[in-house]
Amino acid sequence: MKVTVVRSGGFAGIRRRGEADSASDPMLARLVGRVDLGSVPPPGRIPDQFVYDIDIDGRRTTVGEAQLNGPLRELVHHVLGHAE
Amino acid sequence: MRCHIVPPHMLERIARNADDPALRARARRTLALTSAHATERRLAAPAAAPAPSGAAVPNRMIADAGHKERLPGTTARAEGAAATGDTSCDQAYDWLGATFEFYETAYGRNSIDGAGLKMISTVHYGERYDNAFWNGEQMVYGDGDGTIFTDFTGPLDVTGHELTHGVTQYTANLDYSGQSGALNESLSDVFGSLIKQMHLGQTADQADWLIGQGLLAPGVNGVALRSMKEPGTAYDDPQLGKDPQPADMSGYVRTYEDNGGVHINSGIPNRAFYLAAVAIGGHAWEKAGRVWYETLTGGSLASAVDFVGFAAATVQTATRLYGADSAETTAVADAWKGVGVSQ
Ligand SMILES: [Zn+2]
Repeated sequence: MKVTVVRSGGFAGIRRRGEADSASDPMLARLVGRVDLGSVPPPGRIPDQFVYDIDIDGRRTTVGEAQLNGPLRELVHHVLGHAE
Repeated sequence: MRCHIVPPHMLERIARNADDPALRARARRTLALTSAHATERRLAAPAAAPAPSGAAVPNRMIADAGHKERLPGTTARAEGAAATGDTSCDQAYDWLGATFEFYETAYGRNSIDGAGLKMISTVHYGERYDNAFWNGEQMVYGDGDGTIFTDFTGPLDVTGHELTHGVTQYTANLDYSGQSGALNESLSDVFGSLIKQMHLGQTADQADWLIGQGLLAPGVNGVALRSMKEPGTAYDDPQLGKDPQPADMSGYVRTYEDNGGVHINSGIPNRAFYLAAVAIGGHAWEKAGRVWYETLTGGSLASAVDFVGFAAATVQTATRLYGADSAETTAVADAWKGVGVSQ
């Protein structure tokens, strides 16, 4: 599965994008299996917090930094670690 | 801190003995802002006596997150306490003082809510955390990664920007999305810059109109994070990319990211403020800043206001303050034309 994460916002407003494929990334495959995008709360409108747009094989969600925890947090940092 | 020409011993005498209560209050405030609690304790009235009227003094608290992401963290420095020796903690404390002083001196505003709200900042948030934010109750600062960003407590305008998000929350409460979100961002940049300008004693033509100058680590190709004077020119770097801010409506960016591009499209109202301030001249916080401040806090701005609505509101405020045919009102109206918000 193809996973894309875009981080936007923050005081600096600098965009970061990362992409990875679980077919060649066993760690990512495990994380994807533990993530439930349906249970993510809507992002709060908190000034200058980071906002994450996550796309797992066409399923999308937006998460605010304050709500980002558990396996989804691990997944986001893992994929952004691959950012160019 | 700003240089105060009056030495502390004279301020103490004024704070105690001056006939004018406003003068006494002002001396007390200056002492509270510039020196440590020793002076404050000497001046402290007996416990039962009420504080002198009009004596707005800051109430600061700096907490240390110890590189975790929990708020607020442990108390590192309370109001009046001596410097800790931790650069981030002491810088955050001083910049809260400068920001408090700005709002008090320029607009008679007592802290974030206008009623003396305690100002709380957490430093050393997260590991190499590249950000600062306002979470609805307090300011939060990361140390930066050291490669791209330095410590976010460093530049005064970052503290001014974050605290102003609090002022906006307690006043017009602009929705942090789309154009009202970009205005929310722009107001934080405007007053962040004005706080720095007052601290440095600069007029509009002397100011750099940069946001986050000093925040980019050595080796990064850029002067700051944003330029109010020339949006889109603050940085151009292989690691960071290029400053994406438009300078006028022809470059307005439509995106769902960043709450609808609030940190991108803020370049447009930022430059409108710059144009108005430079056209009016002098200290920008005195006239252009007052027009923006009274528009923000006047109570008639809708929380979902767009650029056109905000522009009209500033022209209305300028008209009320300076008259319809004044140079100030003309400058404000021309500024919004200059960025393509109005014709
Ligand atoms: Zn902001």
